[in-house]
Amino acid sequence: MTFLEVVFDNYFYLGSITIFLIGFHTLLTHSNLIKKVIGMNIMETAIFLFIVSIGYIRDRHPPIVVEGEPHMMINPLPSALVLTGIVVGVSLTAFALSLIVKLYKYYGTVDIDEIMEIRSRES
Amino acid sequence: MTHLPILIITTSLLVAFVLPLLGRHFPRAVEPLIIGIISANIVQVSGLLLYVNANGTFRYALGGWSPPWGIALSIDALGLFMILIIQSVSLGILIFARDDLIHEIENSLKPWYYTLFLLLLTAMTGLSVANDFFNVFVFMEISTITACAIIAIKPHPDCIEASLKYLILSTLGSGLVLFGLALVYMVTGYLSFDFIAESLPNAMNLYPLNIIVSLALLVVGMGIKAALFPLHVWLPDAHSSAVSPSSAILSGVVVKIYAVILIRLLYTVYGLDILAHIPISQILLTMATLAIFMGSLFAMGQTDIKRMLAYSSVAQIGYIFLGIALLSPSGITGGILHIANHAIMKSLLFLAAGAIIYQTGIRKIKDLVGIGYQMPLTMGIFGVGALAMVGIPGFNGFVSKFHLAVGALEAQQPVFVIVILISSLMNAVYYFPILIRAFFGPVNHQMKFDQLPLGMVISLIGFAVATIYLGLLPGGLINLAEAISQFLLSRS
Repeated sequence: MTFLEVVFDNYFYLGSITIFLIGFHTLLTHSNLIKKVIGMNIMETAIFLFIVSIGYIRDRHPPIVVEGEPHMMINPLPSALVLTGIVVGVSLTAFALSLIVKLYKYYGTVDIDEIMEIRSRES
Repeated sequence: MTHLPILIITTSLLVAFVLPLLGRHFPRAVEPLIIGIISANIVQVSGLLLYVNANGTFRYALGGWSPPWGIALSIDALGLFMILIIQSVSLGILIFARDDLIHEIENSLKPWYYTLFLLLLTAMTGLSVANDFFNVFVFMEISTITACAIIAIKPHPDCIEASLKYLILSTLGSGLVLFGLALVYMVTGYLSFDFIAESLPNAMNLYPLNIIVSLALLVVGMGIKAALFPLHVWLPDAHSSAVSPSSAILSGVVVKIYAVILIRLLYTVYGLDILAHIPISQILLTMATLAIFMGSLFAMGQTDIKRMLAYSSVAQIGYIFLGIALLSPSGITGGILHIANHAIMKSLLFLAAGAIIYQTGIRKIKDLVGIGYQMPLTMGIFGVGALAMVGIPGFNGFVSKFHLAVGALEAQQPVFVIVILISSLMNAVYYFPILIRAFFGPVNHQMKFDQLPLGMVISLIGFAVATIYLGLLPGGLINLAEAISQFLLSRS
């Protein structure tokens, strides 16, 4: 198998890792706190995509049993895990945003560099 | 089969959600209830520990569904030992918090604080016994959110910022862990630790890259959450700005739970054979050594007493990882002993610092001159903690450092004995000036006695007695730690 074939066969893995890195980069480098949270979400979504694609098998159906129609199913466990993961991700996002709202009330900005500047001026 | 394991988790979980309601209608019942439930948990865990010591470890299958379909909890000495530390240390902290919290947060928030505290305890209890990857992930997220929330509950911009920093970096850590578990699931098809451990050697032959990358992701993810040196940036802000009881539980217990999960993963899931393929031991040893030295160096430069204690935690986490990474029986024993001993002495130091702030409002180390004449009891107890931290024989810090040194010799890496010795001297460099300032400064104060509420005094004395008792008679704890290290090494 050539390199390109490997890439084409596993494009979903490569795609999710690329998205993961985009989110990772946004999370670490942007000074705007809202963008940091967006980066956090992109990163989590990439991992969810990765987990779902582990369970996917080509040409098979979602695991919903309909009488009289025998199907080959995909692995439903990763999808179930991702459902829990999404719930956890939503609560983390909500909590992070509420903290950012509080910070905005104190400092009047959501930029972490500006907050640092205000703090160094105060002390 | 006994149902105690799940009872400990579910009763705490239920009580946590009842507390705010109770706080609205019967505010005086909140504190007795939470102290009662934690005492009950301690009794149950002690019972389970005796049972496990007599009959060996067992798996508790939730709802009777056995893995790989159901969820199982691993009831072994390591997890129960950790639960015992979590619950007993937090019992002491809560007795202290009763009187201390009034000064730091609004009265109406107190029941909510206890809710978050109990949820944090539940999550850590779950983490100690969780035997599959997905429960580890879910409990980890619960503990992340509640740990951030007990920092942010104090309405001060520093706390909110520290909490947000902690939250973002923690989420990064759990993201990496989730990626790591996805990679393991991809090649083994299991989430349960037992089944993964069985199928990993085979998977290692077929897909070595997956296993190695997952190991790296898990170590870095847990490293962020456990504040291992280059990944510790969130810890000093978070632990120093929080209210004192939160600082004590975060520094004393929360960072260590991730070290415990890493121990479980490395020894019982991956096993020494797979670890031998990659220099994970050397990497962890280097990071631990850096943590020990840099944590102490940063601590020397601090002017705020709680910030200094927070940096000292970074150094102490280094000791724990040193013990884990030595891969020798005494090293693991030492690491596990240090988890317990550091939990007790760091909680003691943070609470003593909290008592100083409570009575005098002083946070700067240079303002502590003569404080020993105003608060002789608190400073005496702080002295006990400081001596234990330095590792003077007769205090519990010595016991674990001694085992770590023996472990380094067993692993034939005597250089780490020197690391432990030098770092103990470095600990002395930043702890003793505080004691010297407090007791030997210019005397311009009348000798007074501490004016602290009874709860705070009881809690401080309790921690001090535990520090000295475990220093003088460490036999029981050492036996337990040795049993755990045997259990871990027999599995791999």
